[in-house]
Amino acid sequence: MLNCRGAYILGAVLLVGTNLCGLAIPWLMKLAIEGLQAPTSQGRFTPAQYGGMIAVAAVAQGVIRVFSRTTLLNAGRRIEFLLREDLYGKLLTLDRTYFSNWRTGDILSRLANDLTNVRMLLGFGVLSLLNTVVVYTAALFLLTRISPFLTICAIAPFPLMIYIVKRLSASMFRCSKRMQEALSRLTARVEENVSAASVVKAYCREEGEIETFRQACGGYLEASMGVARLRGWMLPVMASTGAFGTLIVLFIGGGQVIRGELTLGGFVAFNGYLAMLVWPTIMFGWILNLMQRGAASMTRLGEILHASAEVVEPDEPVDPGVIEGGIEYRNLTFSYGTAKMLRGINLKIRKGERIGIVGVVGSGKSTLVRLIPRLFPIADGTLFVDGIDLNRISLDKVRSAVGFVPQESFLFSRSIADNIGYGKPGATREEIERAARIAGLAGDIARFPQGFETLVGERGVTLSGGQKQRVAIARALIKEPSILILDDPLSAVDADTEEEILSALSGYYGERTVLIVSHRLSPLRGCDRIIVMEQGAIVEQGNHAELLELGGRYEAIHREEQLKAEIERL
Amino acid sequence: MHFGGIYEDETVGKIYDRRLMGRFVGYVAPYRRLIVVALLLLPFIAASKLAQPWILKMAIDSHITKGVMAGLPSLATGFLGIILAESLFSFAEVYLLQYVGQKVMYDIRVQLFSHLQRLSARFFDQTPVGSLVSRLTSDIEVVGEMFAAGIVTVVGDVLVLAGIVGIMLWMNVRLSLVTFSVLPLLIWVAFTFRNWMRVAFRQVRSRQANLSAFLAESIGGMAVVQLFNRERDEAREFRRLNSSYMEANLPVITWDAALYAVVESLSSIAVALIIWYGGGEIVKGNLSFGALVAFIQYIEKFFSPIRDMSAKYSVMQGAMASLERIFGLLDKEGKEPESKPQPPGPSAPAPKQGLQQICFKDIWFAYSDEDYVLKGFSLEMRRGEKVALVGETGGGKTTVTRLLSRLYEINRGSIAIDGVDIREMSLQSLRRRIGVVLQDPYLFSGTIEYNISLGDPEALQRVEQAAAMVGADRFIRELPKGYQEEVRERGVNFSAGERQLISFARAVAFDPEILVLDEATASVDTASERLIQQGLEGLMQGRTTLVVAHRLSTIRDADRIVVIHRGEKAEEGTHAELMSAKALYYRLYQLQFKD
Ligand SMILES: Nc1ncnc2c1ncn2[C@@H]1O[C@H](COP(=O)(O)OP(=O)(O)OP(=O)(O)O)[C@@H](O)[C@H]1O
Ligand SMILES: Nc1ncnc2c1ncn2[C@@H]1O[C@H](COP(=O)(O)OP(=O)(O)OP(=O)(O)O)[C@@H](O)[C@H]1O
Ligand SMILES: [Mg+2]
Ligand SMILES: [Mg+2]
Repeated sequence: MLNCRGAYILGAVLLVGTNLCGLAIPWLMKLAIEGLQAPTSQGRFTPAQYGGMIAVAAVAQGVIRVFSRTTLLNAGRRIEFLLREDLYGKLLTLDRTYFSNWRTGDILSRLANDLTNVRMLLGFGVLSLLNTVVVYTAALFLLTRISPFLTICAIAPFPLMIYIVKRLSASMFRCSKRMQEALSRLTARVEENVSAASVVKAYCREEGEIETFRQACGGYLEASMGVARLRGWMLPVMASTGAFGTLIVLFIGGGQVIRGELTLGGFVAFNGYLAMLVWPTIMFGWILNLMQRGAASMTRLGEILHASAEVVEPDEPVDPGVIEGGIEYRNLTFSYGTAKMLRGINLKIRKGERIGIVGVVGSGKSTLVRLIPRLFPIADGTLFVDGIDLNRISLDKVRSAVGFVPQESFLFSRSIADNIGYGKPGATREEIERAARIAGLAGDIARFPQGFETLVGERGVTLSGGQKQRVAIARALIKEPSILILDDPLSAVDADTEEEILSALSGYYGERTVLIVSHRLSPLRGCDRIIVMEQGAIVEQGNHAELLELGGRYEAIHREEQLKAEIERL
Repeated sequence: MHFGGIYEDETVGKIYDRRLMGRFVGYVAPYRRLIVVALLLLPFIAASKLAQPWILKMAIDSHITKGVMAGLPSLATGFLGIILAESLFSFAEVYLLQYVGQKVMYDIRVQLFSHLQRLSARFFDQTPVGSLVSRLTSDIEVVGEMFAAGIVTVVGDVLVLAGIVGIMLWMNVRLSLVTFSVLPLLIWVAFTFRNWMRVAFRQVRSRQANLSAFLAESIGGMAVVQLFNRERDEAREFRRLNSSYMEANLPVITWDAALYAVVESLSSIAVALIIWYGGGEIVKGNLSFGALVAFIQYIEKFFSPIRDMSAKYSVMQGAMASLERIFGLLDKEGKEPESKPQPPGPSAPAPKQGLQQICFKDIWFAYSDEDYVLKGFSLEMRRGEKVALVGETGGGKTTVTRLLSRLYEINRGSIAIDGVDIREMSLQSLRRRIGVVLQDPYLFSGTIEYNISLGDPEALQRVEQAAAMVGADRFIRELPKGYQEEVRERGVNFSAGERQLISFARAVAFDPEILVLDEATASVDTASERLIQQGLEGLMQGRTTLVVAHRLSTIRDADRIVVIHRGEKAEEGTHAELMSAKALYYRLYQLQFKD
């Protein structure tokens, strides 16, 4: 931002320069006219010479004008650039809680439309404001040189204008904010509709979608007209203020000329300077408009900039060295909102242990494992990795030790190789291929004409469900993490491929701590311990045989699967 | 790593102003009445603008220089009246034009959005969400700026200009010609800058779209970014896009500033010329002094509309670049196929009777080029049948379900329902008969009720019944607000299984004749799954069901099982038949239930 301040100062200086040239012109005109009025007397230059001087001033004005404008407007762009960077930087630090409360379209709209308003204020607004101030001061100075009394008369209507404008400004702010909010809603509608194109088509919801979009557009139209109304009022207020000044001058100044208190040349020049003020005065109204809009938008951007993440870096991070993978939940309780989701979880996982997690829909399995890479905030002293409170290890460290396969695979619209390599910056092709092989992707990729370079579309839309899931697995594997978390990793994969992946994985596991969530029991084969969850609590745990013996929920799931198999065998 | 790959928005094409403008006028045309009113106001505004220096001239020439004070008050009153009138007229003007502008934007937006609804699934596969968002929002905003800047008042500017030119010519032809001598340079500059500006603006717009596409994706994948510690790389990529956007803007600023400066300087140079020339004339006694002063005033007035127009010039070039993009999308090929509805004759289907048979015949299909995903796939399903599709992942099962809904056009072969090719039905009537549970459930922000009914009044009646049938009511009833519980964007506040159940309930609530379940219970536990199966048994009576499942237990009671292997039908038969064939299905089965 510092070099931007430099740019603003330079721009301001240049503006003063260009305006000085601009003001020199009526001054020269005044001299020329006075010379013409009394051709014989002390006229020092010929009209042609005056003309030449004016032309030189005009060219100088033009050249400096280009530089002043580009300097200032570029500075505005630069600040927009920096601000956008800050905003994005901020978004990168925010956690899931934040994003689940915000609509993507809203954020998009803020980073595009609100930022535009702020930039307009910082570029064009500042330019016009500086220009106005410079022109005003210079003109006032020159006006007082000609006639202080007339000057006071000319600016007499201004206080009234300022009063009116002040009244309008506050509503301008409110209306602008409402307008930006409406635009956000509209953007969110579009974003959601486009993302859900397949659902909209499958259920023939096109008409309904168009109707709700129409409503969103209508809301925006209304809000915009509120702003337009205010803008409409601003313009005549400004224009008439300037003109009132001229009127007073005409009336009083005219009398002065007649009485010989003022030269005619002086009067003409005075009017010339006054005319120069008309445009900046109108501009001033416009700047106020920009300022209010910019301010309204800036508050909206501030809501992002000042958002605070709940998952934060520890104040005094403890360096765990290499994270080995021992995990301990100590009487952990967790809630997304007000209702408790996980209650009194006590679980100790040794380094290198393989844990299976089962349980009915919504029992909190995903929640349990999400807490390890700190996707959600947890209370101090409830979750430990290698005996250290998780909240005291830096996020970087924790996350680089954890390989996570989310239940829903999110892929980036890049190539398959880039998506797998995402888990490890600078991964070599061999590493990518190896990860793909373990994840059972090798065959699929070999069948793609572009192989690893196949682009996957947004969120991986051009892959099949199982392919997406396996890319997500490969992405976690390539990271070589000491803690591997697989949240229902094989739900979209057939038995054959599952078998292939499981046997490749068992070679990969080695010393890693592994947590697998699954609805089917087959991926849990080979787990040292299985945990059964229900309503946010661990209700059973033990190895396969122990749990079968226990005859509880696990045994029921097992029986269910077996029963089906038996029925079929009959 | 390079973001976007083939998706990167590119700028191509020549500049077609006339056609663009002509088309744009078509959108403005419905509001011609309002525009006419606004235009009718213009002469008044122009006249009051023109009258002001005239009054000044009168004041100077016939009062002040002559020392006659009488009559000056009435001139002043006139001046005041004119100013008030100008203010009122300008307000009406600004308001009307803003209104028209907003209406036009509204119309374009709704049209563009409606058009988007008709575009094919393939289009959505290839177009990033963020870039579409940017077209529907910022691009249209830029067009709207044209109205805010008062593009319609260009007509007024031209009028004022013509008036001033007339008065100037009437006052003094030679002085006028001297003044106008600077114009050719201005015109040359304007035309030269036009192309440069447009090229720059196009770049601005497309880079803004890239930025928006990146951002939209990045927000969606933020958890992945954070899980993999890739914040720094994403920030770097964002900076690249951000700075390329900023850099695209810089030439625009330069051209705009240059144009502004040229206009400003030329106006002063014109004054200089007049002083040089007019001064000589006064000395020679050919010109009155007041005339010269008034003339100089008129030069100011003469350049003020030109300055206005030049300020609008770059706004207009920007709007043109956006219009190109908007119309580009509107002209986008790849609309969903229009149906060729059958003439209502004897061959027309009789929907009352209900569906009897679906027939996939020798389907060949490729998402792109010759890369066939389905190769000669055939399948026949009769009323009330439950057919299961199983097979290796990526084998083409989901593709089969998509083709039935005609989300994509098949390359060869045909799909017929009761003997009528689906290409001959309207998309609406085809899709209304099919209820699909998509493999990736999508939830809208809204309530649970909305997500099950999607606002359809008939489905709304069946929300609770449908939820009960798929066993979703158990968790919904436990929520504080039940069916009115808020669902956040994409359903992030529900577990994956819950999302799937809601999306399942949606398919059931629409009471379709054909039920397509694409891995509909993949994220659901075994016990719930059994409950769903029991709940659905009644529903499936008299309905045709196509089930895709990896979990073979879900399809044990299917009437027929079809095994797809690499796009071809490898096996078909009942469970018992396939088990005794001891081929692919048998193997899958053994693997799944081996212990
Ligand atoms: N929208 C698309 N554009 C291009 N290719 C696609 C698209 N959707 C799927 N494919 C490709 O077509 C093939 C078949 O995909 P499909 O989704 O039909 O498989 P599937 O049998 O449903 O697999 P799964 O069991 O993993 O869901 C895959 O190789 C996939 O990459
Ligand atoms: N981000 C969130 N905000 C609020 N509530 C949430 C959020 N994520 C999950 N929940 C709720 O918490 C509960 C547990 O969710 P979780 O995802 O842990 O279940 P799960 O055991 O993984 O279920 P599934 O088998 O369906 O994946 C669910 O009832 C869900 O509605
Ligand atoms: Mg889960
Ligand atoms: Mg599929």
